[in-house]
Order: sequence, then C-alpha cells, then structure tokens
Amino acid sequence: MRKRNSGKDRLITVALHVALAAGLFFAAFPIYWMLSSSFKSNTEIFALPPTILPKAFTLEAYAAILGDPVKLRFFFNSYFLAGTVTVLTVLIALLAAYGFSRFNFRGKGSLNTLIISTQTIPPITLLIPFFGLVVSYGIFDTYVALILTYLVFTLPYAILLMTGYLNTLPRDLDEAVAVDGGTSWTALWRVIVPISLPGIVATSVYTFLLCWNEFLFALTLTKSTSMRTVPIGIQLLMGQHAFEWNQMMAMSVLGSLPLLVIYLVAQRYFLAGMTAGSVK
Amino acid sequence: MAEVVLENICKTYGNNFHAIDQLNLSVEDGEFLILVGPSGCGKSTALRMIAGLEDITSGSLRIGGVDVVDMPPKDRDIAMVFQSYALYPHMTVSENIAFSMRLAGKPKAERKKRVDEIAKTLQLTSLLDSKPANLSGGQRQRVAMGRAMVREPAAFLMDEPLSNLDAKLRVQMRAEITSLQKQLGVTTIYVTHDQIEAMTMGDRVAVLKGGVLQQVDTPKRLYESPVNAFVAGFIGSPSMNLFEATMTGAELMSGAFAIRLQDAAFVRRPGLKSYAGRKVVFGIRPEDLYDSSLESGRKYQTIPAKVTSIEELGSEHIVHLNIDAVRVDSGDPDAVQDFGLTSNAVARFEPDSAVRSGSAIRLALDDTKLHFFDPETHLAI
Repeated sequence: MRKRNSGKDRLITVALHVALAAGLFFAAFPIYWMLSSSFKSNTEIFALPPTILPKAFTLEAYAAILGDPVKLRFFFNSYFLAGTVTVLTVLIALLAAYGFSRFNFRGKGSLNTLIISTQTIPPITLLIPFFGLVVSYGIFDTYVALILTYLVFTLPYAILLMTGYLNTLPRDLDEAVAVDGGTSWTALWRVIVPISLPGIVATSVYTFLLCWNEFLFALTLTKSTSMRTVPIGIQLLMGQHAFEWNQMMAMSVLGSLPLLVIYLVAQRYFLAGMTAGSVK
Repeated sequence: MAEVVLENICKTYGNNFHAIDQLNLSVEDGEFLILVGPSGCGKSTALRMIAGLEDITSGSLRIGGVDVVDMPPKDRDIAMVFQSYALYPHMTVSENIAFSMRLAGKPKAERKKRVDEIAKTLQLTSLLDSKPANLSGGQRQRVAMGRAMVREPAAFLMDEPLSNLDAKLRVQMRAEITSLQKQLGVTTIYVTHDQIEAMTMGDRVAVLKGGVLQQVDTPKRLYESPVNAFVAGFIGSPSMNLFEATMTGAELMSGAFAIRLQDAAFVRRPGLKSYAGRKVVFGIRPEDLYDSSLESGRKYQTIPAKVTSIEELGSEHIVHLNIDAVRVDSGDPDAVQDFGLTSNAVARFEPDSAVRSGSAIRLALDDTKLHFFDPETHLAI
C-alpha cells in the first residue's frame, strides 16, 4: 500500500519537474539565445542548421557597438533620461507621499483616487495628445519632452508606492522630531528619508526600468539620431538591406547589464528592516 | 522648570465627540502629576495637547506663565517620552540624545559634554555608539528618557513610558523614574492606565473618565476618600467592592444579611441620614474584608458568603466570593477582570487563611472602612 503510494508520488514529482523544466526552458532560452548570438559573427547567425554554441567565438559585435560614437550616444541618452527621471520621480513622489501620509487636507481622498485612476489609462492612447503638446511647446526632439512625459507615467505609481511605505513608519517619529525642536521638513529629511531607503530603492528601480525600456514615446517624440535611446538604437540596426543580428543582440546584452547590476545592488535594501529598534 | 496650568481645556472632534471636556488642572513647579484612567478616557489626548501634538479646541494652557495654545511643540519648552520610545533608528544612542541640541545649533563640544553627563546618570555610557536595534527594552526606555532630559525642559511629558516593558523591569524603572524626577525636580506629567504606577509614582494623581476630570488628589487621599464610585473602583487593586443596599435605621439591609453601622459613620457623613429607608451604594475594599476564623477577623461583624475561587499569591490570598447583594458597576471597564463572571466580591485574606473554594464562610468586615455613594449620581456621601 505504502509502496504503491510512494510510486505514484514519485510519478507526480517527475511530471512536475518536467513541467517546470519546460517552463524554465521557455523563459530562459531567449536570454541564452541573445547571449550566444551576441558572440557569433553575423554569417554564423544565418547558418543552417543554427549553431547552439558559437562555433567561432567573437567579440566583433561588441567592438562594433562600443567603438561607434553614435551607438554610445544611445547608451548615454538612455542613462541620462532614466537617471534624471528617476531622481525627479523619487524627489517629487517623496514629497507628495509625505503629504498624503502625514497631513490631512481637503480633497485628499479624491486626489488619491485620481492618482490611482491614471494607472488605468493605456499610455498609447495619450501618444497623439502628447505629441501635439510637445510640438506646440517647441520641445520636440529634446530631452525635456521625454523627461516630462516619462514623469507623467512614473509619478502616480511612485507616489502610491512611497505613500504605502511612509504609512508603515510610526508617526511617533515625526512627533519626536517636533518635540525635539524640528519642523515637518526636518522630520522628513533628517529622519524619514534616511529610514525610507527600502521604499526609495523600490521606487527608483521601478522608475529606472520603466524609462530604460520605454520605446513608444522615445520613438515618437524624438527624430534625430543623437536623441535616440537604446531600445530605438536596437531597432535602428535593422536596416533596409542588412540585419546586424549579432550587434542587435550585443546591444541588448549591454542594455540589460545595468538593470542586472541595479537588481543586485538594490537587493539588500529590500531585505533589510530599516526601522528595527525604533519603537518597542 | 515651571508650572503647567490647564483652564477649561476642551477637545472636540469633527463628529462632535468630546475627547476632553472642560479640563482644569494646575501642576505645580517640580510636581510629579499622574494622569490616569481607563483606555479611551482622554488622558493621552490631554498630554498630547499639552505637548502641542494635538490642537486645543478651546481653553487656555500656560507653561511657566506663558500661554502656549498657539505655539508649535518646539516652542513650548517641553520634552516628551513616547510609549513607543520613538527612537531614531538610524542614529546611535549618542546621536539620538543629542538630536535636539543639534537642531538648536549647539556646538559639538557642548553637545558631547551634555550627552556624557546624561549617559552617566542613566548608565548608558557604554552604549553611546550602539543603534537602538541593538538595545534591550529597558535600555531603549532609558535612551528615550535621556533624549527628554538633554533639553532641560520646563516640563516632562510621559505617555505610558513603561507599558512596553515586562513586569519585572517595569517595577525597577518605576523606581528609577521616580527618583530621577525627584533628583531633577522638573515638573512632570505622566500618563498611565496602570493604577499601581499612579499610586506609587505621583505626588498627585488626576483621574479621568470619558474626558472628564473626576478627582485630583494625593494617592493616599484618592484611596481613602474617593469622590465617586468610579474613582473608588478604579483606584486600588483589586477594585473596591460596591453593592446596593437599603438603609434601615442604622443598618444596611441586603438579601439575607444586615450590616450594623456605628454612630461614627453618621457623624462623619451627615448626609447619610437622609438615605434612611432608601437605597444606597456601599463600598468596601478587599483589604477591609477578613476571614472570620482568623484572629484578625474576630473583632468584626460577619456576613454570609460563598467562596468561588482562591488565588494564592504567597503573601496573601485573593479570595473571590459571592455575597447576597447586587453588585454595582463603578464604570471601570477593567473591573470585570477583578470580579470575573461567577463572583461578585473579592477579598484579600492573610496567607494562613484555610478557606476552600466552594465552601460557605462567614466574611468579617471592618464597618468603619465602608464607603457610601448615592445610587443615582454615584457621588460620595
């Protein structure tokens, strides 16, 4: 009886593992293919049957990208935009969230609902109105156009995220600062911000990723090559006559690296309980 | 150092809920005043209004003669110890204590000197570089005290500072805070729901209920002459036994028993005579009830009672009883814990009492220690 049961259990375990392996393969293969293709020559990429491992390992695709100032500019643009938007988003969201979390004011509830409701609008539906606005402001094909539009998309969620985090911090801390002789401003910068790092990191990572991966608005609101970002740059490698697959893959790898690094660095903040020892 | 005077202080919330109603209280310079009451009585609200963390709806508040109603907390010259301690988790003990001096722009050398002095008083010197997370509950409590002391304020405000500590440490810190307060001589207002803290720590105790001040007096006088049934029930542990009875001549009649009153009882309370033939509430503390089979109980009159349960504490027995009388609710929500569901009276017997759970006994009572209250208003007679 027991034996038969364990045999059945084993069968279920095996089936589960096979299913999980299939799932893993489906998720991981594209990443593997990106990596392996980036180390092939363009001719090897078109070889039939395709090679699973690069037959002739080469860094020519990487050299082509890192040696080309135009393509490096794509990286600079992406870093600059994502970095600026992240800093601005965190600053503005922090102030807004502190207001939502610590003060009562007229219309607080409806304002909160409004912020949440903006999340339900698909960005693509706003593309045309934004385009018109950007052109009439005379900021078409500039960083400002992209920074402003990105802020519109990052801020609502960032504010919700930060408000949720600040709500977990005891109000006693703000009151202790008030009694110790500080203002709300002192409480925010000297106490709340230093212990909000996990919330700030989560918001930053979210914002950075959103900007780094953004394609639609970057494509529409800029025109000149010097204003393009990495996702557009990858697409630009698909020329009319030539497909630089290995370069596209190398650029994708280089484009993914910062995200990987951010995750690794930020990880410990997600785990650490920053307020330990404050109360009780 | 200064006196704190509250005049007709009211706190009304949007839904017309009166958290504090016409509070008048004068705390003298250097006095240790306890604000006590059951949860929700408004004691913390009152303290937070003095601190400036809560708006005052109406009334006047003076600290050291200065009207502070419209001042922010930082200008009121007060320091506060929070129930949660509210230590800044990212700062060391020394930074926590010195924070207010830093905000005030005091030079580093002065800050260090002051922090060192305080650390010495509070025995925190070896912990100055630790973060709050690495401290024990008692140590955190002392850091919170240090943070308040560093400012040399006109008044200390303490909001249940010991409620997060375990029972043993609480007893120790109770003594430490009391002696520290005496040593510093700073006016202190201390909020607690624990009537033992109230009785042991304060020069005077203010009892609040439902936002209304019931009585302000020394612990001894509160215990001996409560102004109403609520204060009588709230102060003292276990609570005072309160019952309804009928005054018949010089006797209290209830069910199967009668308690004879001596002339002195009427001399001390001239009003008691007018209750003749009417209902009255009488109260007796558990420590004024005796086991009639013991020497200590022989000299008193007795009434019949049934023992429901006994808690043997070593130094005394807390005996839960049923007597043939209707118990009166003092309005203290915690009182039910003292009496439980099956008994209506509680007594403290000496440890050599041999009464058994379930047995019928004669309960001796010291009739000179009876308290009397009006059955309608619950005011003392």
